[in-house]
Amino acid sequence: MNAATPKSSMGARPIRGGRERVKPVVPPPVAAPFPPEFRRLLRELLARAPRAHGERVERLPRRRAALGQSGTFAGHRPYVRGDDPRRIDWAAYARSGELFVMQLEEEERRVATILLDLSPRLVVGTPSRRVAALRLAAVIGGLALRHLDGLTVVAPGGGTNAVSAFAGVADVERLLVQLEQLPWAEVAPPTAVQTLLQSGPLGRLHWISDFVAPRAVERNLAALRRRGGRVVGWLPALPDDVEPPARGYLTLQDPATGKRVVVTVDDALRSAMRRELAVLRRAQERVFAQSGSTFVRWPVPAADDHRRPDYEEVLRQCRT
Amino acid sequence: MPDLILLHAERAWWLLTLPLVLWLVIPPRPRRVEATAHLPQWEAALQGLRRRRPRAFSLQLLLLLLAAACAVLALLGLGVAGQVGPQRLVVLLDGSQSMAAHSAFERARERVVTTLADLPAEVDVRVLRCGGPMLRRHGESARRLHDLGAPAGSRHVDLAALAGEVAGDPTADVTAHDGVVVWTLTDGQGVGTLPTVGALTTFGAAASNAAVLGVTVTDRWPLPGLELAIDVIGHGAGAELAVEVAARGAVVAPWSVTRRIPVGEVVRFECELERTVPGGELLVEVALAQDALPTDDRWRLQLPPLPAPRIAVLAAAESGPFVVAAAAALATEVRGQVVAPAVEEPVGLLLVDGGEVAIEPGTVRALCFGARFGGPGAGGAAEPAVARAAAGVEWDRQQPFLAGLDLSELRVERWNAETLPTGPGVEPFLFAGEEPLAVVHRGQGTRGAEDGSASVHFAFRLADSNLPLLAAFPQLLRRLFVRSYGAAARIRVDSTPPPAGEQDLWLRATAPDRPLPEFGTPDRPLGAWLLGGGAVALLVRILCRRRDRAVVGQA
Repeated sequence: MNAATPKSSMGARPIRGGRERVKPVVPPPVAAPFPPEFRRLLRELLARAPRAHGERVERLPRRRAALGQSGTFAGHRPYVRGDDPRRIDWAAYARSGELFVMQLEEEERRVATILLDLSPRLVVGTPSRRVAALRLAAVIGGLALRHLDGLTVVAPGGGTNAVSAFAGVADVERLLVQLEQLPWAEVAPPTAVQTLLQSGPLGRLHWISDFVAPRAVERNLAALRRRGGRVVGWLPALPDDVEPPARGYLTLQDPATGKRVVVTVDDALRSAMRRELAVLRRAQERVFAQSGSTFVRWPVPAADDHRRPDYEEVLRQCRT
Repeated sequence: MPDLILLHAERAWWLLTLPLVLWLVIPPRPRRVEATAHLPQWEAALQGLRRRRPRAFSLQLLLLLLAAACAVLALLGLGVAGQVGPQRLVVLLDGSQSMAAHSAFERARERVVTTLADLPAEVDVRVLRCGGPMLRRHGESARRLHDLGAPAGSRHVDLAALAGEVAGDPTADVTAHDGVVVWTLTDGQGVGTLPTVGALTTFGAAASNAAVLGVTVTDRWPLPGLELAIDVIGHGAGAELAVEVAARGAVVAPWSVTRRIPVGEVVRFECELERTVPGGELLVEVALAQDALPTDDRWRLQLPPLPAPRIAVLAAAESGPFVVAAAAALATEVRGQVVAPAVEEPVGLLLVDGGEVAIEPGTVRALCFGARFGGPGAGGAAEPAVARAAAGVEWDRQQPFLAGLDLSELRVERWNAETLPTGPGVEPFLFAGEEPLAVVHRGQGTRGAEDGSASVHFAFRLADSNLPLLAAFPQLLRRLFVRSYGAAARIRVDSTPPPAGEQDLWLRATAPDRPLPEFGTPDRPLGAWLLGGGAVALLVRILCRRRDRAVVGQA
């Protein structure tokens, strides 16, 4: 957030005097998030990367698993809209009067799922957190396609591309194209998780977001935990997540909501902001730790930095 | 809700300063707009520091705008529109003598004071006392009716004409701002017609009245005898009135008479009185039962004291016996005495016949016959430098002391004009051709100025004329004695005849009273209030700023 976002790109015109006009901002599409240098790096990573670990969620052949909805009974979960009515446990309904869906332990199949946040809030940073998230998704997805049986990319708010399934290394290029075409969309975490849960088997879930609302994330992590998914939270970390901007008189705008605040940044305010950011970081880490999930704060490399060491942490997390 | 007006609407362009002030005061827009994902954290940090976000329309801005608006409105002359109506009042207060009847003047004064106290302070008030001395009062002095005196005298002005002149055009609209309202307060006495413009308040009522119109005095000074002719008139409802006329005071025996006199006719009462030696006030009055106007009932006369002169005679050796005989005869007539002249012993009259006397003409009461005198203007020769006969002698018949005297037989054989004083204050009254033979020198000194005493100088000695032999000589001698006393021998009348038209209280003009109209009030500017309000707004704004700084300091 060190560099100011051009006014024209921020949509609503600031109001003189500080009263914000609440209007969401729709940032322009990210131009070329995957330059040739990144593509070469990605190919190198996929060629030399150790075997990635996925969740064994399917024991039967892939085709059968794709068609079947059977398996070992693992438990119940409350029925939500969109669940297959055939999976409703009517006996449980007769006992409790509430609808439950039987969760079946499917046949082993190693898959991975990427839950990608498309919020305009990711426009901040240079390069933006959005670009970093897309490249992170590309690396994680490429590793999954290289070593696992399948990959599902869930991008709530992505329209027709909200849920996309990929399989095999050959789909890497399609994955990149799909990621490039994802729009900006602000979707609340509950809705995003609901979309995720309806997408099918999760396998290992890689949740890429800025996690600026830890409380909302906490509730959704609990829901995912009940589904038995293993979650790795990826936060493309920016310098602004630790250090507030230098002193000055500026207007701060939340791109997701359009809300603005005029502040005069001085030493006292910077100190207070550092404390608030530290509180946020601790809350993010605490939320994932309490749910037994992994939280990775991945430093966003520079825009033209396409070196392997920057992605070693990704490789390490995908290996474990 | 009062009507608000702008007294200086031509300054309305100053309102353009308000948007300028607004533009200058609103915090500028930050040039940097940065997107952040941590807006809640920023807000929490601001809240932790208790900092308020700069607002475009804060209380401080509103207070500043209020102060600026107050200043601009004060500059524009915002004020409360006054009430339309006249703003000038001219009070014509009848102060003539008849207003003393039934205390009409006092009631009129009270009415004016009460009414003026309720008038708006902006109304310009002028009071004209009509009747007696014309008095004008303006402003606060008019509102207090300061020093208007007592009712006396006659009304020298026509109230109706004066009211019309003051009010200007009688058909003018007195409700206009520049209108003048005339308020006449009178008893209608001696007025042909009452004013038809403005407000009118009448006082008084028909009543009986008797008045002393005049007192004619025949004075026999230096003798105590006194004759009075008193003219009395009475007015009442019937055909006759019973009046009592009396004279009392500095007389040996007071005099009074009661008589019924016809109404409206002047009746003369005559009496002879003998006044007291010290003199004093003689009061002549008429009494009538239920007399409504007592101020015209009495006359006051100041009687001088009777003289008891010591007459000294200075006669030259060659003078004949005439001067001594004349002094004796005069002393007998004025009840004085002839004394021998002595140094530093005052005398009432000095008779000098020939020779030389060291007196200053006009400073002592003296009758000098061909005598030279010392002091200023002296220079007469020991013997008449001009000795000639005066065949035809003329005298000033306008002189009171020569009235009725026949001096045609006067023959002067020798006379000297150089024995007569010259200069100011000299009045010749006896002539030989064009040259004076005798003069009266009115005193120019301190004593002469005080009592009007004079010295009489003849250019010839008694022995050089046949004046002592004339029949008019004793009378002339006594009159010259009176003349030498001047004003000290005259009766002073302190009263004046009551004005005509102020006596008959049955002859008064009447008309229905007309109230005063509603007076206008001027436009009342609110500049002081606006400036005060603006100052208060600025003060409150300063307090708000200090409070905010204190909050930041605590944070």
